[in-house]
Amino acid sequence: MPQKLDELTMALRAASELRQGQVVAVGSGLPAKIAEILPAQAPVQLLSDGGALGYGPSQPDAGAGVCGPDGRPVALESGGSVVGMVDWAAMLRGGHVDVAVVQPARVTPSGDLLGWTTAATPGLFAPGRTVDLAAGGGTVIAMLPHTGSDGSANIVAESSPVADGRSCVNLIITDIAVIRVENGALVLEEVAPGWSYDEVAALTGAPLTPADDLKEISPDLEALKTARHSKVFPDGPSAIGDMPDGATVMIDGFGGPGGMAHYLLVTLRDQGTRGLTIISNTIGIARIVNFGTPAGKLAIDHSVIVDNGQVVKAIASYPVSPSMSRPSSFELAYRRGEVELELVPQGTLAERLRAGGAGIYAFYTPTGAGTLIAEGKESRVIDGKEYILEHGLKADYCLIRGHKADTLGNVVYKGTSRNFNAVMAPSAAITVVEVDEVVEPGELDPELIVTPGVYVDRIVIRPEAFSAYE
Amino acid sequence: MVEGKERLPREVVAMRVAKELPDGGFVNLGLGIPTLVSNFIPEGGVVFYHSESGVLNCGPLAEEEEQDIDLINAGGQFLQRVPGMAFFSTVDGFAMIRGGHVDVTVLGAHQVSATGDLANWMLPERGVGNIGGAMDLAAGAKQVIVAMEHTDRQDGAKIVQECTYPITGKGCVSLIVTDLAVMQPTPDGLVLREVAPGWTMEEVQELTAATLIPAPDLKEYEL
Repeated sequence: MPQKLDELTMALRAASELRQGQVVAVGSGLPAKIAEILPAQAPVQLLSDGGALGYGPSQPDAGAGVCGPDGRPVALESGGSVVGMVDWAAMLRGGHVDVAVVQPARVTPSGDLLGWTTAATPGLFAPGRTVDLAAGGGTVIAMLPHTGSDGSANIVAESSPVADGRSCVNLIITDIAVIRVENGALVLEEVAPGWSYDEVAALTGAPLTPADDLKEISPDLEALKTARHSKVFPDGPSAIGDMPDGATVMIDGFGGPGGMAHYLLVTLRDQGTRGLTIISNTIGIARIVNFGTPAGKLAIDHSVIVDNGQVVKAIASYPVSPSMSRPSSFELAYRRGEVELELVPQGTLAERLRAGGAGIYAFYTPTGAGTLIAEGKESRVIDGKEYILEHGLKADYCLIRGHKADTLGNVVYKGTSRNFNAVMAPSAAITVVEVDEVVEPGELDPELIVTPGVYVDRIVIRPEAFSAYE
Repeated sequence: MVEGKERLPREVVAMRVAKELPDGGFVNLGLGIPTLVSNFIPEGGVVFYHSESGVLNCGPLAEEEEQDIDLINAGGQFLQRVPGMAFFSTVDGFAMIRGGHVDVTVLGAHQVSATGDLANWMLPERGVGNIGGAMDLAAGAKQVIVAMEHTDRQDGAKIVQECTYPITGKGCVSLIVTDLAVMQPTPDGLVLREVAPGWTMEEVQELTAATLIPAPDLKEYEL
């Protein structure tokens, strides 16, 4: 029998699938070896449930306090950050991970993934992290030995009632083959050097079709030899100029003038995009509340796009002025019937945003039970307390106000301006952050990064002379 | 006759509420009289203030020359930077509230019912209102105290048998402190615990649209 691939070669073959800018969640076992063979500063970030996003090879004395998926200490690469379990899971479920690599015990032609415990110990179901990886990570690659130590096939025709994931595996990389899962069937695309289709098929417990261009496995990391792309855009117009009419846009706001992406708000006004639905806490009351505004000036807030007739709907918690006698632009537009309003309690708004970004479809909250807010919503009594069902929120764009970012999009905030900005960042298809300063990866303390770059698409530096008042 | 009879100043109402705050407790103060409560923490007492703007251990307001637009309270006022301050996202700020980590919230109200329903987010004549953090506080804070004037400016009752305004939370208010009385909503009705100096229960009842049930130890407002 020809020689099988060693673990590091398998890892090289798996890494050959990765592309510039991807976030790659890895499980334990063979996938953990990917960190050992990636070129230094490769333009992808590995995510481990050991608390690390953007890490390198294992080092016994790494000292970063974070681990790879197999529990070995790893060092963070520059631009890496420390993530908690909730964040790890939110990145997966929320669709922020491009590729997940797992080592199951068995795989089926339909792409079902059977974990070690489900395969070896019927009746005992201990999914660990595999279920999250299988459900959440865009493309799922399964790495496993082609056969067990007794020679039995690990690629099997029959699934299990307690599979860790169903129809989730896209590609199987073994020590003798690369197999694509296509519409419930297995296509042999590559074989290890010296192996034939027949030899591989004989060790496979399910039908296997050879690809027309069946090749020999030959890892190729060319795509990972490029430098990491910077997310910095030259100015506001280049960063949000592609926003179409009718977009849904998240923008933070409280009663004070801080915390808002003022420069991007003015950019949005100047480019005139119309028909916008704005998701925000307030919808432009800093201008009315007027704290700290220099004489003769107006605070820049959501009013600038409301006054310009660009907004058709707001989803907000504090939409109007605290004073009835000094109405905000939004309230005036509302009274004229020009804008719609969906009123949401502030904590529910925050949680809906979090859920949207974290792939949680809906949740029960006690807030608003028995009030107007509960009308038309499902409610249920759990342990004697009434809860209502609220749904996650997503948007096309999110304009957030950070303090500093590195070129990979890692963001830190200043003071209370973190509030809704950090919550909104994961919840939009395109997240644009306006910051005072951009630094190189590694210059922000990874322990203090609040919004990891996985959530940020574009960075704009607020012009130095730009004022929050006009 | 109660018309024109002197009522307690807002500061005294705030002082009475301050007595209710647990030493070392986490407290969220709403706008209006509730904001004043922080001026009357008993000497030696410590209270940690939580604000929906994303900060714990809010200190005093900042002087004009040290105003920082990235350091505000929920009302948008500028805060001083003080030792022990912690900043967090709005998700965390409201997890603190809903998760039962905030001991007391003090809120203003348009109406409070005898059984503790709270209405404070919309005046029907305006047709639109601000919920802000009020519904989460009503649903999540361990204790909800209402601090307000006993009546509106036309002596209209704000303490009612049933709220007619849209409510913020049902049965959530545990204590009402006004410029005339201290009252405790209960499932059985509104218990009058204290009355302002110089006022009788009958006089307070005249300005209250819910039936007052005298507490066995009904006494004068205690500061």
